Amino acid sequence: MASFRPLTIVTHPRYLDHDTGGDGHPEVPKRMKVIWERLDNGPLSNIIHRVSPEPAAREWLLSVHTQDYLLRLEEACLSGKQMLGHPDNRISYDTYEVALLAAGAGIKGIDLMEHNEAERVFCCVRPPGHHAEASIALGFCFINNVAVAARYWQKVYGKKRILIFDYDAHHGNGVQECFDQDPNVFYISIHEHPTFSFPGTGYAYETGTGKGKGTTLNIPLLPGAGDKEIMKALKKQITCAVENFKPQALIVAAGFDGHELDDMSGLCFSTNVFGHIGTYVDAWATRYCEGKSLTLLEGGYHLKTLAMGVETYLGGLSLA
Amino acid sequence: MYVQYYMTPNPITIKPSIPIPEAREILKRHDFRHLPVVDSQGRLVGIVTDRDIRSAYPSSVLSGPELEEELSRLARTPVQEIMSTYLLSLDMESTLDDALLLLEHQKIGALPVLDEGRVVRGILSIRDLLKAYGELFGLREKGSVLIAFKDDGSPGILMRIVRLFENLDIPFTRLLRTKDKRGDAKGIIYVRARTYNLNQLNGAASKAGLELLGSSIKTT
Repeated sequence: MASFRPLTIVTHPRYLDHDTGGDGHPEVPKRMKVIWERLDNGPLSNIIHRVSPEPAAREWLLSVHTQDYLLRLEEACLSGKQMLGHPDNRISYDTYEVALLAAGAGIKGIDLMEHNEAERVFCCVRPPGHHAEASIALGFCFINNVAVAARYWQKVYGKKRILIFDYDAHHGNGVQECFDQDPNVFYISIHEHPTFSFPGTGYAYETGTGKGKGTTLNIPLLPGAGDKEIMKALKKQITCAVENFKPQALIVAAGFDGHELDDMSGLCFSTNVFGHIGTYVDAWATRYCEGKSLTLLEGGYHLKTLAMGVETYLGGLSLA
Repeated sequence: MYVQYYMTPNPITIKPSIPIPEAREILKRHDFRHLPVVDSQGRLVGIVTDRDIRSAYPSSVLSGPELEEELSRLARTPVQEIMSTYLLSLDMESTLDDALLLLEHQKIGALPVLDEGRVVRGILSIRDLLKAYGELFGLREKGSVLIAFKDDGSPGILMRIVRLFENLDIPFTRLLRTKDKRGDAKGIIYVRARTYNLNQLNGAASKAGLELLGSSIKTT
């Protein structure tokens, strides 16, 4: 009988209030409900400790985004606009506030870990963040939750080497852009090949620039790639990069849209593979980060496989 | 599609009379491989490349007084002695295709771009050309994805594709009709579109009688 170690989930009912219009837009509030339901009723329910975030303070948003962009986003939401910049970036009146709460989840998780009140933290949030850049909303993302968390960890707790591992099926252009020249943050992304997939960035040749050269690793996978390909990368390339970098802190951008049933990508992962990813993350955390890791939800749009994927990943992460 | 928009304008040029070591210094300082040589009116009279310079320099096995003598001879030799005068060039109305074909055919690395009076107005290297084609194909265009439609050759198929994107309010920036190199060379129409919402695109494409090929679209 498998046993699991305690898990902290940072989430908030207000994440349901970001309304994406309901006319076929895949980033729906129900994504939260299916995950909550699965976790509350599954084998992990006994080891989960739920915590609420506060909205991220302006100071931390400004460490990633421009003031002008934040003003535009807030104004667009409050004035009743339905999108920001592109029809994919659907917004509603509450979106700005909800986005601040999503960004605040990572910050909450970090505070808990740094005060030894948690080890494995999963931020079950929406809207997602890894496509958002300093002054651009993109791919359903408005505030870059992962980037805000990393900057917070650097500035408040002085973390020198932060590893961000992104296994969402789409390249996290916003995260890469934020830390492109920062040698203290290593961004590893495994995603569907940019020739075929949104957002069209994340080629293997992109390895960081200036002082950050060598601290970006992109692993593009061709459409149709599945468990074999990601396991190979995890075992060799990614583990090697982690071992060489020796992170002090670990952030995971967790997307479940690479599942074979998820229409939003051409990748074909099984549910099980997310469990394997979880065990790898925990192994790195144990070896380098005193067992601590911060995982933030990004994509995953097939409701059933999203819920199962999250549960399986967390199972792998917290397996004793 | 014209070279004048993709070339390096007003490049560094040299006079035929400058000594070889000075030309070498210029190439090294700017990390260039080609230097157009011009007369007093700026008209092209030759090209000197880093290969020409390397050939002119004494062997690295030379040393002592022999080396000194060679170097001092070089210091008195103008580039005009080593420059190439068989001159291929582009003009201000040349297209990128002209440049590509010339560079491919002649196996050279760069071409000067001249105006009607043969004055050097720019230089287009292979790197500039790669960048130009990348830009034309929408490479690295943030937030974009390449969609492939089966080209069944039916009448109005292009119009149906354009309407599909317009109805969904999805900006698309490139459209390419070609043959698939795999298998039996079916017709393919590639579109580079700025969208993430593939679910929506998939559904609407089916309704419009369009078949999406491979790439990121799964049928479940």
